[in-house]
Amino acid sequence: MTLPAVRDDPATPSPRDWGVAILLLATATTAGLALDRYLSLTSQAMIYVLAVVVASYRLPWAVSVGCAFGAVILLNFFFVPPRWTFQVEGQEHLVALVTMLAVALVISHLASSLRRETRTARRSEQRARQLQALATGLADAKSPGEVAALAAEALAAAFPGPSVIALLTPQGEPDLPGDLAATFGDGMRCCIREGATLGPGTGRWPGLDAWYLPLGTGGQTTGAACVQNVSAYDHAGREHAQALCALVAQAAWRLKLTASMEAVRQEAQWHLVQSTFLAAISHDLRTPLAAIVGAASALQTQRDKLDAAGQERLLACIVSEARYLSTLTENTLQLVRLGHADRLDLDWVSMEEVVGAVLGRVRQRDQSRRIRSRVPPALPLIKADPVLLAQLLENLLDNALKYSTEGIDLAVRQVGDRLEVAVEDRGPGIAPGEEQAIFERYRRSDRSGRGGAGLGLAVCLAIARAHGATLTARRRDGGGSSFVLALPIHAEQPREVVE
Amino acid sequence: MSIRLLVVEDDPEIRSVLHSSLAAEGFDVRTAVSVSEAAAILHHALPDVVVLDLGLPDGDGLDLVRQIRKAHALPVLVVSARHQEAEKIKLLDAGADDYLTKPFSVGELLARIRVALRHRGTALDPAATVHELDGLKVDLRSRLVTVAGEPVHLTPTEFKLLARLVRSAGRVVTHRQLLADVWGAEYTDHTHYLRLYMGQLRAKIEADPAEPRHLLTETGVGYRLAVA
Repeated sequence: MTLPAVRDDPATPSPRDWGVAILLLATATTAGLALDRYLSLTSQAMIYVLAVVVASYRLPWAVSVGCAFGAVILLNFFFVPPRWTFQVEGQEHLVALVTMLAVALVISHLASSLRRETRTARRSEQRARQLQALATGLADAKSPGEVAALAAEALAAAFPGPSVIALLTPQGEPDLPGDLAATFGDGMRCCIREGATLGPGTGRWPGLDAWYLPLGTGGQTTGAACVQNVSAYDHAGREHAQALCALVAQAAWRLKLTASMEAVRQEAQWHLVQSTFLAAISHDLRTPLAAIVGAASALQTQRDKLDAAGQERLLACIVSEARYLSTLTENTLQLVRLGHADRLDLDWVSMEEVVGAVLGRVRQRDQSRRIRSRVPPALPLIKADPVLLAQLLENLLDNALKYSTEGIDLAVRQVGDRLEVAVEDRGPGIAPGEEQAIFERYRRSDRSGRGGAGLGLAVCLAIARAHGATLTARRRDGGGSSFVLALPIHAEQPREVVE
Repeated sequence: MSIRLLVVEDDPEIRSVLHSSLAAEGFDVRTAVSVSEAAAILHHALPDVVVLDLGLPDGDGLDLVRQIRKAHALPVLVVSARHQEAEKIKLLDAGADDYLTKPFSVGELLARIRVALRHRGTALDPAATVHELDGLKVDLRSRLVTVAGEPVHLTPTEFKLLARLVRSAGRVVTHRQLLADVWGAEYTDHTHYLRLYMGQLRAKIEADPAEPRHLLTETGVGYRLAVA
């Protein structure tokens, strides 16, 4: 967005202005001479007055005064008898010339005033438009940086001198670029402390050549601005600068309030998640712990009464429940870790290897070899964290083993620029409409009595997302669930190795 | 004389479980609760195998492994939690022989100790020149590889890679160690070489490359040639 600029007419006359004045007088003289035969001296004087009026309206005051004097001298030289001399013959002509000079000067003064007022009005209008445009721009600003940029743009458009704007850092210091002189920081800190504009015409620190304006007052100060090369008499300009700063202060304060409200909301959300998490985890821990304590204490106190098979059953229960606890702990920790990780440590990974390593571990819990795997040869490598990917796959397979009693299919395939890993079972399947909800953290599905799966799936989803992959669940035709992980394949595969 | 084990573990429960189950197998077990205590014990009497837990109160054990490696060939087994990959790999690269991830069964620990003892004293001697398991036979001296009696043609790099694993059969070999030994020290970051070459090797050696019997992946750490 560009803000309308406030343009100012130059106060000092340029050589071009003088040239225009000379041209006007020359034109008036030529016209007077050309129509000499048909005109009286009065009409010729009027032509010069017209030239002076035009000059007064268009040119700076000094030039129009010069033009008035020039008109009287030229009228005297060319037209007042005796012509072609500077002498004046008779009292009447002298009175006429003096009167004409007076009239020309009065006109020049009036025209200059009119022009000044017009200029002031136009500038006020431009400033009002600029304020309006800035307000519109600030309403859309989403960050303090945008607010500062808009403010800097507005000040640059409104004032000829360089200007600096700085928002306060969270530590309460003006956030100034490092290459600026320290005086800016001092001035800004001072105007913030006094809560008022400093500089020429303000009665505070009039010796400065710049205005220092706080953005906001009291506890709501959000920064400060500095406009350089200003005049003590430019009251309207200073008021405009203050109006601009007030708008910017409001916008910055609004952003600050929004940010702190968002922080409060997030904290509340975090506490809620945290307590839901803890409740779910402790519930999930309690069941296997009860089984372990029960089995172990039975072995401790009733060992002699139990036959070998009974003892074996209790021991197997302890081992399997303890392993389940270990997986649960691992998943919990992984969720917490993924929540804090900024970036994964990705490396080239072969999906065939990940599948192989995971199957090697999962087969211990799959004695009847229910899992059938299909991995085509020569798949492209993917960029991934192999440990996390293995954990994802292990969770999906454990989930399928837990919820189904029949065969489980694990298939890897390349589909376009994605590598898909599908785990499909013939268990009870996902309830319609629950395809998204089963990935929600700590959600427990009651579909086969045993809970805790929600955490594993939540970890799967978190790992998939951290890899820029998608993980979707759907009901299978003919019963059962299908989980599909789709990983992006990098277009740039590592180069073949030279032997 | 029975085999002497030094178990360095700060958790009293795990220490006592390890002590009793290893002693039941006939090992002469000593325990230490910290790196400094372990160092003191090593100073007095050398065990045959050291089982070292990661995350001890007075250090990560890296200095201990370096110290042991400088003077002795005695095997060091690192015990770690999952996701301590970085520390684990650091210790393996520093000379530790193998690792176990918690929670592990006593059976797994015993298997690792047996492999470690088999390699004891062979660190400098390329004695393990023939590897045989489930139809795979690798003879390093004659450079002959056969699967179910059929000779398999390997490229020179594939053979170097397989030979490196055969020399450490049963033990994990980290990515870094494999890359340095097969391609050279300047290639230790090129893990994709391993991904590609292990894929090729498995395609030639394994019955089902997606579920390898011989060339096992230690996810995030390295590879292991199966011995049982």
